[in-house]
Amino acid sequence: MSQSPPAYRLIDEVKIRREAFGGILYKYGCADRGALSFINSRQLIDLLLSAQQTYSGDLGAAVEHSNFSAASKQKLYAALDDLARRGYVLVNS
Amino acid sequence: MPEPVRFLGRQTRAQMPGQVGPLHPAALVAMQQTGQAPAQSSNHGSQRFLQGGLSAPITVTWEITAACNIACVHCLSASGKRRPRELTTGQSLALVDELAEMHVFQIHFGGGEPFLYPGIWQVLERCRERGLVMCISTNGTLITPERARRLAQLDPIYFQVSLDGGTPQTNDRIRGQGVFTRAMRGLELLAAEKLSLTVNSVLTRYSFAELDRLYDIAASFGAKLRVTRLRPSGRGQQVWDELHPTREQYKAFAGWLGEHPDVLTADSFFHLNAFGNKLAGLDMCGAATATCCICPEGEVYPCAFFQAPEFEAGNLHDHRFQDIWRNSALFAFYRNMGGGSCSGCGQYGVCHGGCPATKWFVHQSLHIKDPECVLL
Repeated sequence: MSQSPPAYRLIDEVKIRREAFGGILYKYGCADRGALSFINSRQLIDLLLSAQQTYSGDLGAAVEHSNFSAASKQKLYAALDDLARRGYVLVNS
Repeated sequence: MPEPVRFLGRQTRAQMPGQVGPLHPAALVAMQQTGQAPAQSSNHGSQRFLQGGLSAPITVTWEITAACNIACVHCLSASGKRRPRELTTGQSLALVDELAEMHVFQIHFGGGEPFLYPGIWQVLERCRERGLVMCISTNGTLITPERARRLAQLDPIYFQVSLDGGTPQTNDRIRGQGVFTRAMRGLELLAAEKLSLTVNSVLTRYSFAELDRLYDIAASFGAKLRVTRLRPSGRGQQVWDELHPTREQYKAFAGWLGEHPDVLTADSFFHLNAFGNKLAGLDMCGAATATCCICPEGEVYPCAFFQAPEFEAGNLHDHRFQDIWRNSALFAFYRNMGGGSCSGCGQYGVCHGGCPATKWFVHQSLHIKDPECVLL
């Protein structure tokens, strides 16, 4: 029996902007520590923007509705786990 | 003793074809003396991404007025009276729209005292409409119950209320007689509306001993403490020798930060990384790359601490902000400065030579080491 992936949700306070190298994540506040991350993957930035703009922050929906290969999706979920550790994404098992 | 740099005036400064803004010869020489920036591929950490400049700043510091009802001895912008060419409310609203269109994430309002700007409420309301996060740096003395209630309607909005000591004696010798009590009242009113607060404190030789007390004061308002580095800009030039912390204090402070991971620093102490333990946050200056400063009369500078006429990147009375950010000759050079005399240092990778503004205001050079380099 396959286990369904955990639910990933982008937290509301995260702002995203595309840049030439990929993009920036910014969790707003007054110059808080660790609130800024540089992401050098355009694919990941596109996914995050898609989740924010189309799926109300539901990253799982953004992944599943994408055209990424199974291997790419696996990599994206690993990247989302990393973003969860850095406080940009909530994960509910 | 280096000679002070003379401000030549906009008309006489060099301007490169296709580039925006004046390039003061003294700034050009100072930046060229630092040598070439390391190749982007050889950089590590945040510098790798910031060196080429971002499409827009992450945060813009906007000193919206020079008017201030108090007169701090270390004021970085030498504020006091409103200045003749301050941006009108209409110009400020247009600027908010432009910053939003560029996808700037956050505006950090300062001054002067922002609540003395005549159009402040219109500007804040426009920021909220445009989805720009606001942070207001205030002395706290003009907060009233009515203002606090109105501000609470503007969420997300953040406040930094300045206290430069944990006691009236220490704070008021910097910020003026009676200011400690009035700022505490401002904090109380903002906290009563459950607004997101930090107590902002510039680390000085005198406030160092009161860090624990400042931490407790912040906690008593449900706020975090934010400690920032003293810079010798504005009136800070006159009190730099007296107020800047000693090397021993910095060493102890770095340890204290390690024991208080919830204390914010605005990433302003990266020069302390050379002690051997990297502090949280950016390990380099974000001026002209991640941030910049807009001053009351429309001047745009690399950062709030670098308000030297020689380093004006452009003026909003003459150019749009995005043209200055993207095409300013000064910013182009600034983003590609080398490490100067720090280039060969084994610690360069963790402090990137420290604060350029501090170098400039103390020694009128960008080539030398940061005057507070912990290895000196």
